[in-house]
Amino acid sequence: MEFKYAILLACLAFGIFLVYKEFKRKNKAHLVWRIIASVAMVGAFAALIVPITYTVKKVESVNELNLITVGTSSPTIAAIKGNKYYVDSAVLKAHQNIKANYLPDLAYHLQLHPELKQVHIYGYGLGKEELKKLENHTVAFHAGSVPSGVISCNWPAELKATTPLIVQGNYQNESDQAIKLLLFGLGKNIDSLSVKAKSSVDFSFKTIPKQTGKAVYRLIALQGKDTLSKEPVPFTVAKKEVMNVLVLASFPDFEYKFLKKWLYENQYPVALRSRISKNKYSTDFLNRKETNLDQINSETLKNIAVLLADEEELKALSAKERSTIQLAVENGMGLMIRLIDPKQTNPFQNFNRYEIPASAEKPLAFKIPAENANLNVLPFVQTLFLKTGANEQILVADTKGRAVVSTQLHGMGQVMGSTISATYQWQLAGKSADYTTFWSTLLDKASRKKSMDQTVQFVPQLTTVDQRTRLIVSGTDDKVPDMRLGEVKLSPRQNMELPFEWDAVFWPSQLGWNQLKINQKAVDFYVYQKSDWQNLKNANKISSTNHFIANQNKKQVNALQNNSSVEKEISKWWFLAIFLMAASFLWYELRILENK
Amino acid sequence: MSKAEGEKWIQQLRVKWISLYWLQGALLNLAISIVLMVVATRFLSFSYWILLPLLVLVAAVQLWFKPIWKITTLDIARHLNTKYAVLEESTALFLKPETEIALLEHLQIEKISAYFPITDSLNGLWRKIGYSLIVLMCSIGLSLLINRLPYSFVEDQLNTTTAASAVVKEHIPAQLQSFKVSITPPVYTRNKERTQKQLTIKVEANAKVDWKFETNTSLKSLKMIFNDKEVHQLKPSNADSTVWSFSRTITQPGFYQLVLDGQKSDLYQIEVIPDLPVQIKIIQPKQRTVIDIGQPQKVNLNINLTDDYGIKDAFISVTMASGKGEGVSFTEKKLSFNTSFNNQQEIKLQQLLELKTLGMKPGDELYFFVQALDNHGQVSRSDVYFVSIVDPTELMSMAGMTNGVDLVPEYFRSQRQIIIDTEKLLKEQESLSTEEFKNRSNALGIDQKLLRLRYGKFLGEEAETEIGGDHDHDDDHGKGEPEAKFGDVQAIMDKYAHKHDIAEDATFFEPELKAQLKAVLTEMWSSELQLRTYKPQGALPFEYKALRLLKDLQQKSRAYVAKTTVKTTTLKPEKRLSGELGKIISPLQQADFEKKDQTTENLKTLLSLLESRKTGNSFNAADRQLLHEAEGQLIGAAANQPGIYLAALKSLRKMSIASKVNLKDIELVQQVVQKLIGQETAKPQTQNVGAANNLSKTYFNYLKKQSR
Repeated sequence: MEFKYAILLACLAFGIFLVYKEFKRKNKAHLVWRIIASVAMVGAFAALIVPITYTVKKVESVNELNLITVGTSSPTIAAIKGNKYYVDSAVLKAHQNIKANYLPDLAYHLQLHPELKQVHIYGYGLGKEELKKLENHTVAFHAGSVPSGVISCNWPAELKATTPLIVQGNYQNESDQAIKLLLFGLGKNIDSLSVKAKSSVDFSFKTIPKQTGKAVYRLIALQGKDTLSKEPVPFTVAKKEVMNVLVLASFPDFEYKFLKKWLYENQYPVALRSRISKNKYSTDFLNRKETNLDQINSETLKNIAVLLADEEELKALSAKERSTIQLAVENGMGLMIRLIDPKQTNPFQNFNRYEIPASAEKPLAFKIPAENANLNVLPFVQTLFLKTGANEQILVADTKGRAVVSTQLHGMGQVMGSTISATYQWQLAGKSADYTTFWSTLLDKASRKKSMDQTVQFVPQLTTVDQRTRLIVSGTDDKVPDMRLGEVKLSPRQNMELPFEWDAVFWPSQLGWNQLKINQKAVDFYVYQKSDWQNLKNANKISSTNHFIANQNKKQVNALQNNSSVEKEISKWWFLAIFLMAASFLWYELRILENK
Repeated sequence: MSKAEGEKWIQQLRVKWISLYWLQGALLNLAISIVLMVVATRFLSFSYWILLPLLVLVAAVQLWFKPIWKITTLDIARHLNTKYAVLEESTALFLKPETEIALLEHLQIEKISAYFPITDSLNGLWRKIGYSLIVLMCSIGLSLLINRLPYSFVEDQLNTTTAASAVVKEHIPAQLQSFKVSITPPVYTRNKERTQKQLTIKVEANAKVDWKFETNTSLKSLKMIFNDKEVHQLKPSNADSTVWSFSRTITQPGFYQLVLDGQKSDLYQIEVIPDLPVQIKIIQPKQRTVIDIGQPQKVNLNINLTDDYGIKDAFISVTMASGKGEGVSFTEKKLSFNTSFNNQQEIKLQQLLELKTLGMKPGDELYFFVQALDNHGQVSRSDVYFVSIVDPTELMSMAGMTNGVDLVPEYFRSQRQIIIDTEKLLKEQESLSTEEFKNRSNALGIDQKLLRLRYGKFLGEEAETEIGGDHDHDDDHGKGEPEAKFGDVQAIMDKYAHKHDIAEDATFFEPELKAQLKAVLTEMWSSELQLRTYKPQGALPFEYKALRLLKDLQQKSRAYVAKTTVKTTTLKPEKRLSGELGKIISPLQQADFEKKDQTTENLKTLLSLLESRKTGNSFNAADRQLLHEAEGQLIGAAANQPGIYLAALKSLRKMSIASKVNLKDIELVQQVVQKLIGQETAKPQTQNVGAANNLSKTYFNYLKKQSR
């Protein structure tokens, strides 16, 4: 205070002295101007040292918090009245001279200010974890525009050998130019799609990956020659898992013979029992050990994934054998029944069928509706078709849509009926791809499902480097799982309601493929960069915030307004400018105007 | 102006003069050098640095012809004298030393010094500089134009003989100072011998390739390895061991490599342009030609032959089959084309086959194909084509009608009858009056019509005008019909009966049969038209064709199985139906499929290995083993198709040594490995489900109970 007044007094004295000197000056030209300049100079000098402030009245809502997140447009920020905060430093990157305060911990801030009742969220919103902190507050969401890019995408993290990789999602193109979306993997462009300007397109790329093991494909968005984004698509391909097949034939025919050979050459364990006469069988054991197959008992069916038989053979079985098969199907085994006769029935599942006269028909091609695959024409007329009920799934139909193979659930297993009698014709015609597709579809569907020892789940799904990741393991029993990330042992926590579910929290630090060991079993997972799948994450944030808003049952709180005054300072640059102008006028007058 | 001033002015003029000359020379030099440089870089593949030596060279030539620096003040004076008459040949006086000047000369100097300084003395030179500038502009324009020329055009113009394709960037070992590859194509290709400065070669099959290498140091050994298998030790041609040569006839595509003192070079591709056999395209006739009665017994052949180097010869091989059943006899003939073959690359041939002159009778068949020989002696032949002449006697014969199922006997006879009558009418034409002739012709036409209508019935035809057209069924009976009278049984019956369903009218033919029947009707139509317009001669071919088709129809609807002798084993009645199975065994087979070839699996593993290499992981010993195996595979593939696999092989080798990760190499190898694996189809797989814990089992059982 004293310093301020001392300065003011000194300046006043100096000013008076200068004015006095001006009057005393001989040259009276420009006297008024010189006096003004002197006074202005001294005044500006004083203002340079002593700040000049003024107060402004401001209306502010007290119980509201404005939270700016990434994706808020600059005009929106400018339009926000009241205090502004942000929790993600990425906001600062987008808007460099934003006038908002950083909140290192939102929950803490809300605790400190219990008067805050309502939170306005701008932009893409918050993640689920952060939204949890706002559970006791009313939240209003002012969503930013939908991000331009891949806003949803999904693919399986693990594939079996020779199964297709399907990458599906949605691309939102907000720009004025078309975008080419490309799936790239193993040095090759696999598939591409063009997204028109200002449009949103669902994409689905399908390929059979050739590698065994881990690989990272890329989903690339190109605009002309510019790469807009290059997102990793990591997945692993496991080795082929074989299935045990048992064939019971009442008569030998080419269909059985070719199927047997095909399974044998693809290294599937097969047992084939073919009836020769009463209680006389010819048996083949391929890629597996011999057992006695004269009697079907639970022991023989224990490891069988699929049992294929014709109706006649099923009828010829004893009642005990039939009930054994029934039980095995209920416990997950697949039963495939060849339906040859339009009238015959079987003790397991009566497939309703109808026959049409052969003369009026031409050989038709078949299709697999579920996989959208078309098979070539077989050189015979299919006359026997299935009438499918509500609980049956059509696996194969002809091009007119009449079912030839259908399946239905029976306990944990499947019972499947097929009326196609000579698929080996595909092999003879050199269309072995069709043969393979047909039988793969059928066997895939029918085969006994293998239950895993444990399932592993990561939250969030896209494990990001240096981000808190929750790992959820569910096993078959309540034992504590042993989890190791490299050398570090993770400490599991049991779920209170589901005792077999355990979770642990960790922060992955290494980019790319990582390996966890859970009960000595290796689990590979991919750790993404923070910048990967940014648009997808943003879109997820919007939807999770919207979801949060929809589920909150609090009423909107009326804004409480508070008048406050804020002191503002006039910038010192103005005074410096005045000072300099005044001083230079005085100098100019002295040197040039006076000399003239 | 005084004498001293004049002298000074002349000296200054000389300096200006020389410097302007320099400027002009420099401009011209630049113009010439730029053009030369562009030509050198474009056609002789020099680098742009060639410009500097070119500038020096051109400057040297210029100075040789025009030693500018030698211009003296005297020269200037002389030039001024010749150019300006007012100087009266006295400019040189200014340059004379003061002491040597006579009085008159003084006077002369004073006289002409009034004209000094001459302001436009340099104008001519400036103009020259202007011209030089224009020349420079033109040369820049020209060089831009040359640079813009399409490459192939340039190539064609300069080196028309080289079939070798665009320049491939290759790494030449540093020890090689120069090399030359001369290719001598086989003589029959008529391609000229050519040389190239490129180790990647593309040659005609069986071409001889000579390599000549010159090294900058003497080498102990120089080897060439073909397809990573065949090693050839080269022998030096001079004492210093700096010149080496090797020659070889190339028959297979592949790749090779140089080994200079044990140091292996890059791999170079050998591409072979195969010599294809002659392509034969028969445009006319169709694969099967039937010559009906009345048609000219000629076949016009229209053939196109093409070959990549030249066609030497071609001929038609004709086989005629005549006779029936066991009495069929075959005669073969070779017909040459009546044009000469002068090793053309493409030739169009036309030949008329006169079937009669070949000795063909009605009922005979002719098979022919075209065989061609190219100048390398490769033979190619076309498909076999058939020509047959319909036999009228066969048609008229009653064989096959007298026995077996006779579908439509009476009508057949009618068509035959019509033919016989027509022929008879034609025979008697001269003895008949025109009126009579016309009447009989018309009557025949009516017969033909009746016959057609009868056949039409088989197709369900009821209308007279339509051929094979089905009538519209008026199915809504009872609509708009008059009220039935009480007791009118017929009317009531009509209401419920579909009157069209008369057994005799119902068609029981297969669609194919129907189609043929329709064709018969069409022929009959045409025949009738001719008869009714009093042209029985014109009607004959149609009548015959109708009869032939009818005959075919008749043959089609019957199946004939010849009798064969069968010997069956004698039955043992005592064993039959006894139900004893004691002697019947239960056969049992066991087999394990051993897949010896693990390459596909290994290649698949390699793919993910390369994927992990991308992130910087180094290879371990097992990985290297896999890489080595893949290399073996690639070598095999590259030997057959170097164009596809060689680059990848190079990358694989580079990658296995390199310590740095090169993404491009890895991706190239990945691409090719996928090609080696080939197409795959999905195989059945066991599906996984989540861990089966007690809770879910209990829940499942509960649901099952509920649903029951």
